[in-house]
Amino acid sequence: MIMTNVNTVPGKKIVEHFGIVQGSTVRAKHFGRDFMAGLKNLVGGELKGYTELLQDSRQEAMKRMEEQARQMGANAVVNIRFATSSVAQGAAELFAYGTAVRVE
Amino acid sequence: MEILLQNFDLLIFLILIVLGYSAGTWAEKRHYRSINKREKELIKLAVVTAEGNFPPGRVADSTLVSGSVVVSIDYFKRLLAILRNIFGGRVKSYESLVDRARREAILRMKESAKKQGASMIINMRLETATIGRSANKKKSVGSVEAIAYGTAIVMNK
Amino acid sequence: MKFTPIQLEDNINVSKSHPLSELLWLVGGLILLVGLTFIVLGVTADWAVSKTPVKIETWMGKLALNQFPATESAALQQRLQPLLDQLPLDSPLRQYRFRIFLSETPEVNAIALPGGNIVVFSGLLQQVKSENELAMVLAHELGHFAHRDHMRSLGRGLGLAVATALLFGENNAASELASKALLSFQVRYSQAQESAADQFGLDLLTKRYGHAGGATDFFSRLAKDAGNKLPYILASHPHPQDRIEALQRHIKNQHYHLKKTLPLEEDLAEPQ
Repeated sequence: MIMTNVNTVPGKKIVEHFGIVQGSTVRAKHFGRDFMAGLKNLVGGELKGYTELLQDSRQEAMKRMEEQARQMGANAVVNIRFATSSVAQGAAELFAYGTAVRVE
Repeated sequence: MEILLQNFDLLIFLILIVLGYSAGTWAEKRHYRSINKREKELIKLAVVTAEGNFPPGRVADSTLVSGSVVVSIDYFKRLLAILRNIFGGRVKSYESLVDRARREAILRMKESAKKQGASMIINMRLETATIGRSANKKKSVGSVEAIAYGTAIVMNK
Repeated sequence: MKFTPIQLEDNINVSKSHPLSELLWLVGGLILLVGLTFIVLGVTADWAVSKTPVKIETWMGKLALNQFPATESAALQQRLQPLLDQLPLDSPLRQYRFRIFLSETPEVNAIALPGGNIVVFSGLLQQVKSENELAMVLAHELGHFAHRDHMRSLGRGLGLAVATALLFGENNAASELASKALLSFQVRYSQAQESAADQFGLDLLTKRYGHAGGATDFFSRLAKDAGNKLPYILASHPHPQDRIEALQRHIKNQHYHLKKTLPLEEDLAEPQ
């Protein structure tokens, strides 16, 4: 699956498009991570647990979007955008959306 | 009777959970049915995130269209989310909430584009917001707002 | 570029699992987590208590005593002494210097404070009808000292507050839920403590008077007003009826005799 965040797949010609596909996930960390993050807040620095959480969520959102595109019969997703929101306290919502296309 | 009064808090809590579960599940099913039906009706209207590339003279009109919706979570699913917060992992109960919100927002955007006679929407963007910063705090409402916007294109016949 | 509209039947963005099964898993997990926390806390608190010298306890007792408007009562001290004399020489209770206080409060209760201080509320005295009953109540409080329950529950309470604040953060819906669950474990534990103190009290009472008469009288008076058993699931004390039954079982197992009780002497009897 080709993923791009521009209008086209550079060097390839889009022959067919299927509309938008989206993938989203909401994830929370366990209380231990929250606790460590609270400690880290005192001294500053990277919150590894939270970085990991965001990474995992983003990957899952991408995977779900890819799966949707595959179900539609596409072989590429162009113009992908990411967005986050905080639906719940202590949980991260990540979503990715793009246009499913078929390239030659 | 006395026992009921003494454990009033617990009783209310249980009633809310059962009510939240049954009403919430029913509302969600109904919403999904409506979403699926309307999506089928509007399936001919193309929505893409890419910018369109149109030869001169083909486009009659282009205008910004948007659709938004605020959906709230039921009491039962909020309890699940609170519990999930302790253990971490996928907050499954919120997944359908954001999914519904986003699809509904896109549908409303499509409906408004259709009214204007558009045949496609380009450069669509999605945003989610939480109304009130403390969505999961004790006494506030857990809800999500989704907004979809894009440029509707009306083609020359 | 051709547009092919496709409607997907399968929704990948929503997990397929049933919400009720998730609830079961989460609640089960919570109970397990809270149970483990409680056991660890209990062990630590018990260890800390066993290492705490009686001196520190006495100091804490002074602090606690300031909370109660109570006066030292010679009449009660008089009745406590014969009970103390019955204690075996190696009893840990020998380390304490017991002081007994009377507090003018309508509440039917008596409490064991750190450092060998016992506070009896006047509401309890009005309910007591015989010397044997009073001795049973005092012996029950001594039981708490013998098991160092007053210190343990203090340690546990402190530990619980710290643990929930550390683990789940304060002012959070999840922490409230977890602390409620922890509290219900605490209640179970507290009921077990009360039953153990009852048994200790019964043994001491029997040593003092040579028979177990009057052991259950006080509770049967309480049981009349106690009403239904269900609310007691969440109370710190067991239902009086259950306490009576437990005591009677113990009396039967130990082959204690039941003889006539002595009426309350004048210095404590209710003015008519």
